[in-house]
Amino acid sequence: MKTLILGLGNPFLSDDGVGIRVAQELRKRLTDVDIIEASIAGISILDYIVGYDKLIVVDSIKTGRGGPGKLHKLNLDYFDTTIHLSSLHGVDFPTAIELGKKLGYKIPKIINIYAIEIEDNFTFNEKCTTKVEACIPKVVQQIINEIKTDAEVAL
Amino acid sequence: MKKVTIDPITRLEGHGKIEIFLNDQGNVDRAFLQIPELRGFEKFCEGRPAEEMPRITPRICGVCPTAHHMASTKALDDLFKVEPTSVAKKIRELMYSAFMLEDHTLHFFFLGGPDFVMGPDAPAAERNILGVIAKVGLETASKVIEIRKRCREIITLIGGKVVHPVCGVPGGVSKGITEEDRKGIVDTAKFGVEFAKFALQLFDDVVLKNKEYVDLVAGDIYKHRTYYMGLVDENNRINFYDGAIRVVDPNGKEFIKFKAQEYLDHIAEHVEPWTYVRFAYLKNVGWKGFVDGEESGIYRVAPLARLNAADSIATPLAQEACEKMYDILGGKPVHNTLAFHWARLIETLYAAERMLELAEDPELTDPNIRNIPTAIPKEGVGVVEAPRGTLYHHYKTDDRGLLEEVNLIVATQNNAAAINMSIEKAAKSLIKEGKVSDGLLNMIEMGFRAYDPCHACATHSLVPGEIPLEIIIRDSDGNIIKALRRGT
Repeated sequence: MKTLILGLGNPFLSDDGVGIRVAQELRKRLTDVDIIEASIAGISILDYIVGYDKLIVVDSIKTGRGGPGKLHKLNLDYFDTTIHLSSLHGVDFPTAIELGKKLGYKIPKIINIYAIEIEDNFTFNEKCTTKVEACIPKVVQQIINEIKTDAEVAL
Repeated sequence: MKKVTIDPITRLEGHGKIEIFLNDQGNVDRAFLQIPELRGFEKFCEGRPAEEMPRITPRICGVCPTAHHMASTKALDDLFKVEPTSVAKKIRELMYSAFMLEDHTLHFFFLGGPDFVMGPDAPAAERNILGVIAKVGLETASKVIEIRKRCREIITLIGGKVVHPVCGVPGGVSKGITEEDRKGIVDTAKFGVEFAKFALQLFDDVVLKNKEYVDLVAGDIYKHRTYYMGLVDENNRINFYDGAIRVVDPNGKEFIKFKAQEYLDHIAEHVEPWTYVRFAYLKNVGWKGFVDGEESGIYRVAPLARLNAADSIATPLAQEACEKMYDILGGKPVHNTLAFHWARLIETLYAAERMLELAEDPELTDPNIRNIPTAIPKEGVGVVEAPRGTLYHHYKTDDRGLLEEVNLIVATQNNAAAINMSIEKAAKSLIKEGKVSDGLLNMIEMGFRAYDPCHACATHSLVPGEIPLEIIIRDSDGNIIKALRRGT
């Protein structure tokens, strides 16, 4: 199964960059999976995900539930609750996916979203806030576990 | 006083909103657009080498990174007092034209156009690109995707990276163009010209052949007699990449033309207690409140404003299309806000034609792509026309080139006062004696989309153009009596 891990966010905007941070950590520990960090949304998503069987998105979220650092594992049905997947200049994530399908692109059959509850995405800073920073190793490990499980199933 | 609140942001980012205050008769007194603020940008930049700015500023938001990159690069030229080589200017403008072509196209087909193609009364769920496809066919969508892809290939080729270009350096660009690349760009530019003609034809078929739409565009809705600003070349023709900043008055007469470095002599920023947005206005006319006319310093930027502020367009097909627009809408200047969509398509054609001109220029492959700066840096200003209007970057550094002060005036800030007036006008026409017409949400949305506002950097906030809306209507005691919501 060809898998892409896509870390989204703005690395200069405090917790907004947590998806990027997670992707960077994963790159140090995973070798057989494609990993991309990007500050994009909407239609641009299609530039990266076409051709993969499975997509794992790591992004920031503000639901007000669970406190900063809480991990929400979501699928497409919950698309509109993450910051980058819902809010962009043009189309939302499911519209982009739907458009990709209509255009005949190979869209990943499995799309899992790791959304990390954040505190501050309004301050220019290259670092995440303390609680969000602290959750990064745990999220990284969960994604590694998921990738390992996929590999075992494939065998 | 009654209060109507429109919350334009998702519940997740929810800080911005529109508040409409009613008087005792239930009619609109004032309307306020409120946006959250991103904090600490200046502080984030201070102490860093100025050369980092072309890579940092595109990160302010993901909507127009190329515009920030280019304004920043030009500010560095000025900071280091180095003139880019002739070919470097052409390469920059070529990349910039590809960016404008792509950005304008996406706006029309994904954001602004659906209102017209589907009709302003169509359900919101259909007023998007999928609805457009259902109506005009998959082939159109394929063309849109194709032009986007090919423009991005050019931006990647020249810019080094697609989303956040890294090619701009003081005095030039970091990489030249090969003959093979040039030929590929010519092909794309030709495709772009055909595409832009096709888009204008679609506008013709869908909008201009429909009297209802023409009346809508030409009508009084969001009409404001304001000043207009845009970059022009030495012949007063529009230019996205470089030139002087020209301002015309509400009668279309030149008010002032100035150099980028003089912007603070002509532009001031008005602050209101209820918003973080600083409203740009013409200093030498003055701030007279949220009113239009010759006495008010409020001006507009972006496609229609650029056409109004220029005498003509340098490329033949776009010029022809421009003349047609002014003929139909009763001459220059046009004050009708919905005509921004039309002007945007005319500019799309200009961007494509300009791309072709530049790509066919034999000098393009000249390897002399950079002049090395030697001056001690102190202060620099760079200006470009972003898709959403005139963008100013202004840096001050110590003599090592470390940033001490950063000031940006971003596109939407120029239009902020006018956007507020348009919201107020829509509200006034649709709220009478306490009764709110169902069309309010649509009208507010259409007003927004015409400007294609990107508040992401206007306040440094995360509110891109497609804004989910919430209206909360309160009685005179502040109790909510009705709530409308869409887009979340």
